[in-house]
Amino acid sequence: MASTDASNQFADLISRREVVVCVGSGGVGKTTTSAVIALHAALEGRKALVLTIDPAKRLANSLGVDALDNEPTRIPIDRFEEVGLEPKGELWAMMLDMKKSFDHLVDRHAPDEKSRQAILNNKLYQYFSTSLAGTQEYAAAERLYEIYTNGEYDLIVLDTPPTSHALDFLEAPNRLVDAINSRAMQFLYRPTSGLLSVGTNYVIKTLSRFTGGEMLSELGTFLKAFSTLFAGFQERAGKVRELMTSDVTTFTVITAPTAGNIDEAIYFHKKLGADHARVGGFVTNRVHPAWVPRAELSRPSGQLSRELSGLSQAYDALDRDAQKEFARKIRSNATDFQVLADLDAEAIELLRDTIPRKIPILRVPYFAHDIHSLAGLDHVRRSLFVA
Amino acid sequence: MTSLYDRRMVLFSGKGGVGKTTLASAFALSCARKGQRTLLIELNVKDRLNAIFGSVEVGPEIVEIEQNLFAVNISPRVAMEEYGLMKLRVKVVYKAVFENRVVQSFLRVVPGLNDLLMLGKSHFHAMEVDSSGKFIWDKIVIDAPATGHGIFFLKIPSVITSILESGPMFSDAKKIEEFLRDPKMTAINLVTLPEEMPVNETLELRQTLVDELKMPIGMIVANSVYEPVFDEQELQWVLDADPDKFEDTQTQGFVDAAKFRAQRVEMQAEYLERLENTLSEPFVRVPYYFTERFDFQTIAKIADEIDEQLGEESGSQRSAG
Repeated sequence: MASTDASNQFADLISRREVVVCVGSGGVGKTTTSAVIALHAALEGRKALVLTIDPAKRLANSLGVDALDNEPTRIPIDRFEEVGLEPKGELWAMMLDMKKSFDHLVDRHAPDEKSRQAILNNKLYQYFSTSLAGTQEYAAAERLYEIYTNGEYDLIVLDTPPTSHALDFLEAPNRLVDAINSRAMQFLYRPTSGLLSVGTNYVIKTLSRFTGGEMLSELGTFLKAFSTLFAGFQERAGKVRELMTSDVTTFTVITAPTAGNIDEAIYFHKKLGADHARVGGFVTNRVHPAWVPRAELSRPSGQLSRELSGLSQAYDALDRDAQKEFARKIRSNATDFQVLADLDAEAIELLRDTIPRKIPILRVPYFAHDIHSLAGLDHVRRSLFVA
Repeated sequence: MTSLYDRRMVLFSGKGGVGKTTLASAFALSCARKGQRTLLIELNVKDRLNAIFGSVEVGPEIVEIEQNLFAVNISPRVAMEEYGLMKLRVKVVYKAVFENRVVQSFLRVVPGLNDLLMLGKSHFHAMEVDSSGKFIWDKIVIDAPATGHGIFFLKIPSVITSILESGPMFSDAKKIEEFLRDPKMTAINLVTLPEEMPVNETLELRQTLVDELKMPIGMIVANSVYEPVFDEQELQWVLDADPDKFEDTQTQGFVDAAKFRAQRVEMQAEYLERLENTLSEPFVRVPYYFTERFDFQTIAKIADEIDEQLGEESGSQRSAG
């Protein structure tokens, strides 16, 4: 369904990049599209890894493996053979375990064993390490960077976290660093004059009226321990950012043709551009095909019922009135879907008018069935890359 | 079981993109039409209610968007100020403490604080009384965050009560936790689509809510259910038709569209059955609307739909018990 030009342009772009970051709002088929891009690259002869954050059991099943974990798993060759595919390259997949990844970050960046223990044992850290603003995005970006620098894969496709409150994946590493770095923060834990060390301070007394002293001291310990990671985080965040905005990386915005999703796709594009990240393509999933042109929908039921003859023996055996009645249903159904096809086309047109012409927009039709097998992924692949 | 319409606070969660805002709006409208003074709450999101109700943009101030129906888009910053002023009573003191630069940056990094503030404000409205001691609101309807963040959001009070042992924050969190767990007060409704991923996520979310968070589930809503246009026999003709029988004619388009419908209906039926067999909660099916624009009229239709089906549910429960 995607036009050949857009498909070729997108395929060409993917072949010249080493990192593809798939962004988009929740529920638009981001995980599936990420897997399809990696599958395409594997079939083209590259060693491709899809890195997902979603607890996507279904992705594992689609790929024909039981489960995905924190280390890359290779999709066995016989899974491909079963569906008649012959990959010239390799397809690998992994699912980022947020807790493990973040503990791993603490291991790496803690300045000494004492700080490391202080962080890992802090009650607040245990609850919040994976849900603090930006930590998921940060951990994903870190892991991506680590795998990239190890150089084992020709292509890494990153399926970003399905968060709507942390729209800007790219800013996350910096935001986290900012949060623990802000100069004001230093006052909090400076040993003698810091806010949290002065129990008699007027401000702290007032705050305690809200939280109780216990909460404040837990928080103090948490923030103090967390801030020791700062130097390591800052350095890495800079490098991650460099990778994200370099020539080896391209961003793909995944969307669906409803007004809300298209608005968000446009917003993503704008934000990424402001951050000097390059958006190389848009993939619009679940586009309703225009099965019957609008002009054809007005044909009389008598005519349509005659045209339908041969549909099935049972239909042919009906009397004229019953055939006409069925034709009316067929027509009304086609009319229903035409409304959706028009709305989708309108939404995509809005997207086309808003983003630069040089960026391809690919359309994947709305499939009648869920995609939950390698054959299904291949089906999507063909509509995306082999228009 | 207390009817959904009798709870004070009703939340809507589910996988992203399944129609939580639509269902929360429709349910709130349904309550308002029954004469309940209803507050519909968005949690610090880009406002979508103005488009649905054709109202002014909904911000941190409560606005009336329909008869008996009010809306607010809670901002954690504003919620904190309101809460701070309520406790401190003196604006100068609030400013000195909370607008202090050091405190501001401290508060910015306190994990979960925004969620707690938003939940706290929602709870405050649920219990808010006028000078004669009467509840100001009959119903609080919350468009809650999607699954993953949703669990975190609802868990916040329990996290605090497990970290702390006493103090004002502990007792506030405790109050909210108890309120959320009280089946006479609260119901969490789960919205899903009859498709693989959303159904899986919904069943997992339900399990977590019941086992771990111990919170009462209200209804489960299957959204976007295709209404069958064809009867069983006709569906079969369409499904069995030679796929290229009418190749290169417009007739093929008509048949393909019918086949798409038939296949979707078949697939949805499987998931609807799976949901129905697994669930013990009231189960509501909302039809697919071939409009996509969720304007007021569609919301009103969905409101009627929920009302009718919930009525049937409680009716059948009465006759059963």
